Amino acid sequence: MDPSEVEFLAEKELVKIVPNFSLDKIYLIGGDLGPFNPGLPVDVPLWLALNFKQRQKCRIIPPDWMDVEKLEEIRELEKREEAFTPVPSPYYMELTKLLLNHASDNIPKADEIRTLVKDIWDTRIAKLRLSADSFISQQEAHAKLDNLTLLEINTIREFLLNSLNCMFKLRSNLQAGSSGRTFTDY
Amino acid sequence: MDAQSYHPVSPGVGTEENFLSLDDILLSHQRHPVRTECAFPRLGFLDRSSDSEDLPEGTKMELPLWLSKGLYERKRRVLSVELPKVYKEGWRTVFTADPNVVNLHKMGPYYYGLGSQMLHFDSPENPDIAQTLLQTFIGRFRRVMDSSQNAYNEDTSTLVERLDCLEKALFRSGQSGLNGFQSWEKGRASQLTASSLVINYRKRKMADVQA
Amino acid sequence: MMFCEKAVELVRELQRLSDGQLPAFNEDGLRQVLQEMESLYDQNQADVNEAKAGRSDFIPSIKLRHSCLLRNQRCVTAYLYDRLLRIRALRWEYGSVLPANVRFHMCAEEVEWFSQYKKSLASFMRSIGGGEGLDITQDMKPPKSLYIQVRCIKDHGEFEIDDGTIILLKKNSQHFLPRWKCEHLIRQGVLEHVLS
Repeated sequence: MDPSEVEFLAEKELVKIVPNFSLDKIYLIGGDLGPFNPGLPVDVPLWLALNFKQRQKCRIIPPDWMDVEKLEEIRELEKREEAFTPVPSPYYMELTKLLLNHASDNIPKADEIRTLVKDIWDTRIAKLRLSADSFISQQEAHAKLDNLTLLEINTIREFLLNSLNCMFKLRSNLQAGSSGRTFTDY
Repeated sequence: MDAQSYHPVSPGVGTEENFLSLDDILLSHQRHPVRTECAFPRLGFLDRSSDSEDLPEGTKMELPLWLSKGLYERKRRVLSVELPKVYKEGWRTVFTADPNVVNLHKMGPYYYGLGSQMLHFDSPENPDIAQTLLQTFIGRFRRVMDSSQNAYNEDTSTLVERLDCLEKALFRSGQSGLNGFQSWEKGRASQLTASSLVINYRKRKMADVQA
Repeated sequence: MMFCEKAVELVRELQRLSDGQLPAFNEDGLRQVLQEMESLYDQNQADVNEAKAGRSDFIPSIKLRHSCLLRNQRCVTAYLYDRLLRIRALRWEYGSVLPANVRFHMCAEEVEWFSQYKKSLASFMRSIGGGEGLDITQDMKPPKSLYIQVRCIKDHGEFEIDDGTIILLKKNSQHFLPRWKCEHLIRQGVLEHVLS
């Protein structure tokens, strides 16, 4: 999967905006949007929020978790725990990037948030590599991917699947010698 | 990152080859020592060191893997196959001690592939060979993974040079995952780009014009 | 001297261009492989006759040549098949019209195959999308907006957009165009997508 496709999925997440215009409810295949009234908060998908924002039609209210104190807590917990801890949103990384790039004026302490989220990501990716290695070296048969996000899995998916495939083949070799197979390849 | 539309037939890895895989064809072109256990009339020219008409029994020579596989039979033995030295006990001990110090490209470059293929031939050493192949892969895995993930914008050529073909392919898939993420992070993931194939063609055309 | 060297050379030729470029069709190499196969076959026919007449010691040599025949067959099949994979990819990378320098690398049968592939892809695309057809070679990445900013990398001449307006794609000029109109030209390296 290309990261731009993961981002596309993330753009369906709902965020709260405060519009500065009025518009009746609009009916779309993906669901109804609005109605929009100046000063009244309303939930819309991220792609629309960013579109309004770029045209200066709204202010975006950042998600609850996009807050320095909360993120610091998450970061400490992530460092302390051996397993992956639950993340505040399955698209925490994508939301952070999109909101900070397009609406940083609506997000208090944007720079600190950027650094914190990147720290959390780095910690989790290092954990992911560590567990991939122990998965291979212990020759495990299955793994739990609890609490991992799509974007995280996506960065290592191809590599890990190919590696597991190689390991599977090399393990099958252990039985190969005794099977008395015939050759069909030339 | 630009998605490629050309996907070659992937190699079989392990004991089975993929018939149409270019990689597997080149792998099975690797030579290894054999000894003929019967005479091959009118094929003397296959042994460069002799000029007799027939290839006599007991000739020691090197044959490509595909031919030994084609000729090998358990019941009626026309060849006995000798292990290439990287799979013999001496080297197996080295691999077990520290798989990371070995330059598998130089020893291979199809270390895992050829090793797995050698299991086709009966040998009391087969279980040990299979075990060493697996343990070597596992022992080197961390380094292949870490370097492929940290390698962005860094010179990895010395490390990559020491990887076997299979590891090299893994390294590349690790790198493409990382590069994809990093270009997303820089906001370039949604940018439409020219086909790398088209660009490479143009480069070649330029080179042809200048040549 | 070993058999099947020519055949492996064909395979190596493709393997060297691992990015999917299509080298010139190696007619000469292919002919040499087929010649070797013919002579292997003839020699085996002769030896089979001798073996039937009692010379069972010929059997190992017959088997060896037979292995070589199969090996040559495998290499040639893989060579032709891999070329088809590359040719199919060209349709996606370049669109339905190939530049002359690429087309010249195909043999007549490959040109024919390419045009058949083009046709079946086109009729598939016409059949989907609720009767209107759908160009599945478009939007390879999820679109962010309907219009995008592009810069011309080289002169491309006149270009008609949806509403019938004609614009001139001149080197280094910048335009704001419908994304779907530009995507192929960007892939072909005529335009460059400028991110805001």
